Amino acid sequence: MKPVGIIIFPGTQCDQDTAKACRLAKIPTQFIWYKDSFDYKNFSALILPGGFSYGDYLRAGALAARSPALKNVIQANQKGWPILGICNGFQILCEAGLLPGALVQNTNLRFIDQWVKLKCKNSSPFFAEKIKNFKLPIAHSEGRYIARTETLKELQDNNQIWLSYEENPNGSIENIAGILNKNKNIAGLMPHPERAIEKWMGSTDGCYFFKHWS
Amino acid sequence: MTSLKDDFPKDEYQQIISLLGKEPNEVELALFSAMWSEHCSYKSSKIHLKKFAQIKSSKVVAGFGENAGVIDLGEGEKIAFKMESHNHPSRIEPLHGAMTGVGGILRDIFAMNARPIALANYLCFGRPDYPITKHLVDGVVRGIGNYGNSIGIPTITGHTTFHSSYNENILVNALALGIYGPEDKIMRSQAPQSGAYVVYAGARTGRDGIHGASMASESFSDQTEKKQSTVQVGDPFYGKLLMEACLEAMKKNVLAAQDMGAAGLISSSFEMASKGNIGMNLQLDKVPLRDFSMKPEEILLSESQERMLLICSPENYPHLQKIFQKWSLPISILGETISERKMNIYWKDKLLTSIDPLLLTEKAPELKRPFKKWGFPNRTSKKLLNESSKQTFEKKLRDLLEQKENVSREFIYRQYDQRVGAKTAEDCSFPIGVIQLPYSKRFLGIVLGGRSSLLHVDALEGGKDSILYPGIQLALRGFKPLAVTDCLNFGNPEKEEIMSQFVGAIEGMVEAADALSTPVISGNVSFYNESSGANIIPTPAIGMTGLKEELSSNWPKSYFENKGEFIYLIQKHDLTLSENHFSGSLNAQEISKWIQFLISISDKLNSAKTVGHLGLAYTLTQMIQNRIGAKVEVDLDPFQTRLYEVIVTVSESKKEEFESLSRLTPIGVTTSDKILEYNKNKLSIDAIKEIQQAHTWI
Repeated sequence: MKPVGIIIFPGTQCDQDTAKACRLAKIPTQFIWYKDSFDYKNFSALILPGGFSYGDYLRAGALAARSPALKNVIQANQKGWPILGICNGFQILCEAGLLPGALVQNTNLRFIDQWVKLKCKNSSPFFAEKIKNFKLPIAHSEGRYIARTETLKELQDNNQIWLSYEENPNGSIENIAGILNKNKNIAGLMPHPERAIEKWMGSTDGCYFFKHWS
Repeated sequence: MTSLKDDFPKDEYQQIISLLGKEPNEVELALFSAMWSEHCSYKSSKIHLKKFAQIKSSKVVAGFGENAGVIDLGEGEKIAFKMESHNHPSRIEPLHGAMTGVGGILRDIFAMNARPIALANYLCFGRPDYPITKHLVDGVVRGIGNYGNSIGIPTITGHTTFHSSYNENILVNALALGIYGPEDKIMRSQAPQSGAYVVYAGARTGRDGIHGASMASESFSDQTEKKQSTVQVGDPFYGKLLMEACLEAMKKNVLAAQDMGAAGLISSSFEMASKGNIGMNLQLDKVPLRDFSMKPEEILLSESQERMLLICSPENYPHLQKIFQKWSLPISILGETISERKMNIYWKDKLLTSIDPLLLTEKAPELKRPFKKWGFPNRTSKKLLNESSKQTFEKKLRDLLEQKENVSREFIYRQYDQRVGAKTAEDCSFPIGVIQLPYSKRFLGIVLGGRSSLLHVDALEGGKDSILYPGIQLALRGFKPLAVTDCLNFGNPEKEEIMSQFVGAIEGMVEAADALSTPVISGNVSFYNESSGANIIPTPAIGMTGLKEELSSNWPKSYFENKGEFIYLIQKHDLTLSENHFSGSLNAQEISKWIQFLISISDKLNSAKTVGHLGLAYTLTQMIQNRIGAKVEVDLDPFQTRLYEVIVTVSESKKEEFESLSRLTPIGVTTSDKILEYNKNKLSIDAIKEIQQAHTWI
């Protein structure tokens, strides 16, 4: 079984948590250092985990999106490889132009940590296909999803709106918590599934997100 | 820079001359001003802190004198933890003061080679309506959040108090906890041998925080706002890189490590050399700088953040260099350790000083400041918060719920990442923070203690309570209290009254910690929390850890979970409160036994909550979040402060067993009718929630 590649940037925090969630789902993992080039074909999927890559300098995800490892991520996308971005990973994918739109500061201008109820609006064969309603934690300052009117229309027309908040915590347009690219091989979400994989964590709904590439 | 000479008390200056055998030069003055400051030397507190050493425990692997205390949890796991104050900087510049408070305490933990896994904070602010309070709360909370969130360590519990005595002297105490697995060794700060490299690693040195240690050793005056340059500036991104680089390097390439915190390079190098009873040659011109115009004494005193001093053998240096380069961090050899006990400090080829490190550390003054033994005549006696009045039950309860001091702290902890690391089992919304230990999968609790509402009545009894109350919090959830860290926040020690509070509080803490077998393994002292003559309430802040041996995560909720459960009040009253003061005293032995009893019954409870100083009725309003009401009948004043009381609920199936163990009868039941009823006084859950939601900070 090919491992899932988890990319570590300077300032990435959730690499170990993401690996732990994969291990629980019996998915092998391998870390990829942002400076190293890699062959995506050695991996079953790629995950860009959460954190504060480059300390969120310039804009969240902006510097990581221009780092060497992203060149190989772009190649992987060209061949339709599954790529998942969680929180900062989602921000990086938007900054790299692999997902449309952008993530900007929450409307209350503060960091928000809380549990949120979510709905799955559209599914992709790669990501959490069977889940409908679920609960995950969020923890971010820049999680308000925005997009131009025409981009939003495209997202709607192509069924790219993946996850939405039941109650909007951060001012995201259309309550968007996660989106897919047009091909549905890339997904980005602001909530943290890797922090909801055991009952004592408060929810096990995160497990659905680590089941589909083996 | 003006001469530092004038800053020294005359007798201390004479002492310096006699130790050196000559007048000190500017560099030497800089060394003494930092190292003999109250903040670094503990000169007023040292003789009293020794009492903590009386508490014996086999669990303690490292205690005072190291960067943090370490205890052994068995099964190959150890934890390191410590709490530290950052009060003065946070008052001057709340955002950066709080950020560097968190950054500094985290460095203390990973300097010991423990991986940080949890943060907690103990905060005291002035009255909510005091003009600067809102600004300070906002800055401090953002600061704590910025650093902890960004470096990726969850904040899992906290304690926030508002009281007028903190109007001009806020308290910001940060606790960090780290973990060792079976393979990890404890890194010490003692320089081990001569001929090893002294290595500077981490962020470049700038002008920030120069004289920070001396600033933190003075009272505030109207000049306070001008002290901003003494506050350090933190960068959590650099902190993250330094943490990862250090933990990677310490696996095998480092012999000793010390964080460059208060008094920066001076304090770290002199302490390492003193502990090793050796010397060092140090080239100051090898320090990586942000500002090349810095003078040697400024480089020595700078408290720039995210820096570490490491000792390594010459053959290991290339490995070390490689690791720090991987993490894009500057690294530089400053010099080497030498067998002669002399610190030879060079600037280019010029020898600035050659001085015995012990003169700055062990030979620092040890003061015997005057104090009175704590006893009834000098017990402070202030009015307690809750005076009985003739208002109706509902009016009184509404008043309590509406006071800004009492509103939910959710607006604070919502700004902290409480789950990064994926170990959090209970977050800041629960009375204790709980994380799962990564190796044994057991659960560890962290709770903060030190209640201003009691401490301002009596420092000694409040000191005991600061240990016992967190012990009760842990016990109710089945966690066995393990060990304690503390921040002793007090006013001006030059005043006898303040010194008496200090000695009294320590006496109380030692008695309670000894009775509970929870050694005090780390901490710090913050004096001079004084502004224009006004001093803070004596505030020993406590961080206590507790362990749940069983792997189950089934501890009682802090709210009513189900209808039809029986409500009991478990009481242990040792101290009666008359109008103005405590009479009698807390019996720490008895209460410790009670704590053991609470642990033994904890698995029978469905919900449990301690009754705080706001009384029984207020506590009940904090238990209705699941929209389950309660009907209570009990012959007790619902608004009186009583020590100690616990509300618990027990399900029908465990009722008999619980009653035979506790010999209690129920005082009420939980109900589904969404009403809180106390001796026929009724208030609907909707009404309570409405008040709670209408009265928040932001």
